[in-house]
Amino acid sequence: MLKMTHLSKAYRTEVVETYALRDFSIHVREGEFVAVTGPSGSGKTTFLTIAGLLEEFSGGEYQLDGANVRGLNDNQRSRLRNEKIGFIFQAFNLIADLNVQDNIDVPLRYRGFNAAERRRRIQEALGRVGLSARSRHYPAELSGGQQQRVAIARALAGSPRLLLADEPTGNLDTQMARGVLDLLEELHRDGATIVMVTHDPELAVRAQREVHIVDGQVVDLAAQPRLVATANANT
Amino acid sequence: MQFRPIISAMRRNKVGAILIAVQMAITLAILCNALFIIQQRLAMSKRPTGVDEANVVVLDNQWVGNPTDQGARQQADLAALRSLLGVQDAFATNSVPLTDGGSSTGINLHPDQKTPTASSALYFGDEHTIAAWGLKLIAGRNFNSDEVVDKIGYTDIKSPAAVIITKELADKLFPNASAVGQSIYDDSLKGQVPIVGVVDRLQVPWVSAGGFANSFIENSIILPFRFVSPYPILYVVHAQPGQAAAVIQAAPKKLFDISRARVIGKVRAMTTLRTEIYKDDKGLAVILAVVCAALLAVTSFGIVGLTSYWVAQRRRQIGIRRALGATRNAIIQYFQTENLLIAGAGAAIGVALAVSLNLWMVNSFAMQRLNTGYTLIGAVVVMLLGQAAVLWPALKAASISPALATRAA
Amino acid sequence: MFSYYFGLAVRSLKRNIVLTVLMIAAVGVGIGASMTTLTVFRAMDNDPIPQKSRQLFAVQIDNWGPENKSIAGGDKERLQEQISYIDAVGLMNAKSAHRQIAMYKTGAALTPVNAQLLPFQVQIRATYTDFFPMFQTPFLAGGPWSADDDKNHADVVVITQKLNDKVFGGGNSVGKSINLDNHDFRVVGVLRFWQPTPQFYDLNNDQFGEGAEIYMPFTRAIGGQMGSWGNNNCSGNVGEPGWEGRLHSECVWIQFWAELPTEAEVAAYRAFLNNYASDQQRSGRFHWPAHTKIRDVREWLAYRHVVSDEVRILVLVSFSFLLVCLLNAMGLMLAKIMGRAGDIGVRRALGASRSAIFGQCLIEAGVVGLAGGLLGLALTALGLMGLRSLLSEEASRLTHFSPADITIAIVLAVLATTLAGLYPTWRAAQVQPAWQLKAQ
Repeated sequence: MLKMTHLSKAYRTEVVETYALRDFSIHVREGEFVAVTGPSGSGKTTFLTIAGLLEEFSGGEYQLDGANVRGLNDNQRSRLRNEKIGFIFQAFNLIADLNVQDNIDVPLRYRGFNAAERRRRIQEALGRVGLSARSRHYPAELSGGQQQRVAIARALAGSPRLLLADEPTGNLDTQMARGVLDLLEELHRDGATIVMVTHDPELAVRAQREVHIVDGQVVDLAAQPRLVATANANT
Repeated sequence: MQFRPIISAMRRNKVGAILIAVQMAITLAILCNALFIIQQRLAMSKRPTGVDEANVVVLDNQWVGNPTDQGARQQADLAALRSLLGVQDAFATNSVPLTDGGSSTGINLHPDQKTPTASSALYFGDEHTIAAWGLKLIAGRNFNSDEVVDKIGYTDIKSPAAVIITKELADKLFPNASAVGQSIYDDSLKGQVPIVGVVDRLQVPWVSAGGFANSFIENSIILPFRFVSPYPILYVVHAQPGQAAAVIQAAPKKLFDISRARVIGKVRAMTTLRTEIYKDDKGLAVILAVVCAALLAVTSFGIVGLTSYWVAQRRRQIGIRRALGATRNAIIQYFQTENLLIAGAGAAIGVALAVSLNLWMVNSFAMQRLNTGYTLIGAVVVMLLGQAAVLWPALKAASISPALATRAA
Repeated sequence: MFSYYFGLAVRSLKRNIVLTVLMIAAVGVGIGASMTTLTVFRAMDNDPIPQKSRQLFAVQIDNWGPENKSIAGGDKERLQEQISYIDAVGLMNAKSAHRQIAMYKTGAALTPVNAQLLPFQVQIRATYTDFFPMFQTPFLAGGPWSADDDKNHADVVVITQKLNDKVFGGGNSVGKSINLDNHDFRVVGVLRFWQPTPQFYDLNNDQFGEGAEIYMPFTRAIGGQMGSWGNNNCSGNVGEPGWEGRLHSECVWIQFWAELPTEAEVAAYRAFLNNYASDQQRSGRFHWPAHTKIRDVREWLAYRHVVSDEVRILVLVSFSFLLVCLLNAMGLMLAKIMGRAGDIGVRRALGASRSAIFGQCLIEAGVVGLAGGLLGLALTALGLMGLRSLLSEEASRLTHFSPADITIAIVLAVLATTLAGLYPTWRAAQVQPAWQLKAQ
């Protein structure tokens, strides 16, 4: 589903070139729930932006759903993003001007679905996150957990092949966070492929598999027993 | 106040700052040119004619069928007008100042002249003219009645026995000597005509800006002709102070009593003529003033709008500054200094723009060179405008709580 | 997608109502000011006879010579705007054009049949029968006088509908007579309202005036010694005293027009005029080589500088004002769009392409332009009303809105605002989809 091989991403300033990712390889198979962890500045977010086709990369290969995305132009990447990827952000990133259903409607519009199809998908997505009754509410009228569920509904509505979640519970209290995680697990059980970036080891253990990034490279967790141990100790 | 941090902050909002500066520059360019035009037009519309306008009434009279005894009829009309209650004097003429219609000629001094010494308006009159118009004779004498002859229409070309000219024309023709006693050359009848008198002032009939008489607006010459013709002729009546309105009522009535076989056109006070002829000039001044006001309003709203946005954008930054000890005044000063820098740049471009706009107008239109004073006034107005406009957003910025720094974005 | 973007635009505009009102007001005020002056400019710059403006030519002949310096207005080409009676007769007799007319402005006192009513003054145009077909004047009743009437100095007139209403109370007055300065004239035609603006055929007298109320044969007016009530310019030989002297003088006071429907006829007439002037030189009347010129209606209006400096200045000022308003709106749009950068980033992440964002923002600018245009139209109407109260009657005639002006206002508003919106929109399209992630 998502396969990066020897991928690198360099940020250039006037004087230095710094690598956010270097010789980075990862393979996420269809139906997997993978947690990507790592300390602050390790390259987690960079990985996510590249995986989500939000940014280009400098070297290496990236195959998304079997297609090589290297060298695609902005329009092609926008199209792929719209069709194959659903985003769940830490800050929810709902559009404040739009009510719940119109927020979910946004990617469907860019997809070019007709009105009936869009209506059907909005209803279905809202049903899955349990917010059917709130379709006309504005984001400001919802709790943080509800807002994140709307964001998940928005990510789901286009039936993406891959869900990318960036610290999905980072802005939520424990109880709300649990609800959101339960929802993600449920989606996974139903067959969704999910990549979740988090710095929270407690969250990471809920995933099927954990990939740890340090200094822009994937680190073998087996060689870092203490980190896992610490994580377990916190549970 | 330090400029460097302000400038580096402005760099991040480059386009916004440039937009405001350019707006201010254009505003300045229009403002000072418009003010200049307004001032010119208003000054123009106040130029004196030399006529006692408050008390002079003008009416036009046309006989039906061009009767042969027009001269006698005209004398009877004028006698009747002079006998009216509240009338000081009256005469008949071809043209009156502020009517935009009349005759002009080039004045030569000698027979062999290739180009005329001066241009001048021609007014026909008699020994009553000076009194009826209320002109001020400053040298020489009035016409004698034996110098005045009938002139039957414009095609009745004849030489005047004498002329009275305006001071301005006299100075132009004879810069070093008194004009009285000198003579001018009559090209059509090849003879010299003596100048017998000089009046202080008598404006030509054409007063429009950029009109052909602009170069000789004060050059007039009175010829001793009783003008009788098939054209409408103007009767000029000098009322006693305060009687003009009554004369406007009484004069046509009196004339119709004498004969109904005539057309009396408009009966107007000279003050009305002045209002009418300068109506478009005053209109232009008002329109320009309105546009300038709108321009200032739009520019200042633009400044308020953009600065408010900048304030909103920098709320957190301002909160942090406040938390770090910046006073309210420091915040206000920050935005005022920022605006002063932008307005200063705008004013600099604006002055250049104003001058080039003016130069272009001087070339393309009948415009004069812009007085530097106007660009300076404009620059000051625009900078003050900027300061006033920025005040409200600056106050809003100053009211941002330092506690904002402790909260999340 | 258009309706979606339109909906988004309206929603976004409603969202920040103060900024929106400021933008629309800026565009509206700018459009209002510029359309007000443009309306006057267009009325002045109007082609008064579009169907024939390329076929009608004003004729100029230099009959004063290069030595003369007293040409009114200081024309660089040192050509008089009118011609002398001598030349008018010469050109009329030559009949070298498809149609040609000499004419001048005069006037008279009209005595109504009803003796209770006072005589009143009428403005008269003395011309030839071809005036009517040349300028395509519409007739309510009757028609032009005949060529024989021209030849015979006949006592015939064509009157305007307005005068017909005033003197005869309307109706078909052909055959009735009117009394001008104690002479009876037979009415042969009544003109329907006809007022070309500007009055191109005689720009020396009443450029934007109502024109003559009576038309009569040129030959009849000359024979009756009806002097010119318009502009007269005399130089060189001013003639002997008296009417005959004026006719034999070099004074210019007659307008001369030729109708030349084809290029060949135009060229032929140019050649004819040159020959005519050369003949005058040979005969000793002109002491200089031929100097003549013909100009069609548009060229004539431009040459005579019909659009006044005042109006040009106003148009310049008001369009600069519009520019300021647009820069203003541009700044506000920029602020608005950058304030929404977050939303744009989310949309980009959800799959909106650059062009989708570009389209969305540009439509928003267009909506502002449309609203500004509508406001501008209302302000233009107000502005024109203001002009009418400020300006003289003659100038007020130029303050009427035509349907074309409405289209111009809306198109100008939408186009200009969209143009001003291009930069902010471009900036919006540059917002990176990753913005949201990075900003945290």
